[in-house]
Amino acid sequence: MSQATATTTQENLWGGGRSPYNVSYGKIMMWAFLLSDALTFGAFLISYGTKRFFSAVWPDANTVFKSFPFAGEHANLPLLFVSLMTFILIMSSVTMVLAVHAGHYNDKKSVTKWLLWTIVGGIAFLGCQAWEWTHLAGECGGLWGTFVDVSTPVAEYQRFFDPNSEVVKNIFATNPLEAMYATHSFFNYFFTITGFHGGHVTSGVIFNILMLVRTVNGTYERRGHYEMVEKIGLYWHFVDLVWVFVFTCFYLL
Amino acid sequence: MSSHSNQDSNLHYYEGDQSKLYSGVMSHHTDVESTESKTQIKKIWKVFWILLAITLVEVFIGMKLSHSIPKGIIVTIFLGLTLLKAGYIVAIFMHLGDEIKGFMVTVLVPLVLFVWFIIAFLADGGFWLHMNKTSPARPTTSSVQVEAAK
Repeated sequence: MSQATATTTQENLWGGGRSPYNVSYGKIMMWAFLLSDALTFGAFLISYGTKRFFSAVWPDANTVFKSFPFAGEHANLPLLFVSLMTFILIMSSVTMVLAVHAGHYNDKKSVTKWLLWTIVGGIAFLGCQAWEWTHLAGECGGLWGTFVDVSTPVAEYQRFFDPNSEVVKNIFATNPLEAMYATHSFFNYFFTITGFHGGHVTSGVIFNILMLVRTVNGTYERRGHYEMVEKIGLYWHFVDLVWVFVFTCFYLL
Repeated sequence: MSSHSNQDSNLHYYEGDQSKLYSGVMSHHTDVESTESKTQIKKIWKVFWILLAITLVEVFIGMKLSHSIPKGIIVTIFLGLTLLKAGYIVAIFMHLGDEIKGFMVTVLVPLVLFVWFIIAFLADGGFWLHMNKTSPARPTTSSVQVEAAK
């Protein structure tokens, strides 16, 4: 697996004078941060799941997320836009790992190129998210705290539910407020979790821009290694990893 | 103190070249055009295509099949595919698969907590739904109508 373990016995692995994990201090700390961040995102998503189990009905992803930019008001393109966003983020993860790879070879030109593409991908993703937020805020009449007034007309939130589901039909016939509370929770969680994720993407883009400047200036070249690219790379892949789970929880399940 | 080696010789781990701390894949190489390098790049693109294919399968199931297949099967398929994607990202893109075993275990074991978190909280949500059906905690449509009629 690794050259170091092959030549070092278990005994002196923990004997001091070297990293027993064969990983530098900075990278271990990045992993530690990512673990704690994973628990934060996990808490958000599990809380979302709890609320969903609490509700008899839940808005249908295929009905809520069916719009696409410039496709008109009545476009019915479920999941298409979020697939594009997912594609952009996976793509930017690939360019990031290629930048890390180039860093291992001290290839300044390639690191610059791939970091630039990663930044482009990150900004494209944020642009998509800005459009989706604007669109949904228009649909709901705001970001957080919508659908709380008990006198809200039923049609305002009925359009977010699967019209063919028996459970949904039953709730709207007997107790439509139950569906309104579910809509309220759904959008609150949606904006909180995708917002927290978008905040991570934003700081990732800022880190990448800083690294690009330093790479071009030759800071890492003089230092002799591109470990900083690896550390921010870990962070960037983690953001992609979180999106994989957000995608499943909000758009698929 | 015998386990502590000379402090001065440790300094280079924190400043300057840290390549001695790297595992095989992480250590420095010289030729980016070498076969080793090209194999690695090929692997990265292979994982990209795998991730893309999994996403397309998920979207297809979500668009076309999610209302015709039983919910339990759909959820299992989606969670399985999600964990598969997560595995590829962590093992290949984050290079965790290239670290030594002790480090992998250190990173992955705390995540086992999620198994308990998910079971406990979702069960709690389900129980609240059950309670809310028998004695609603929030205004229901009929209670609001009664209030309005007064």
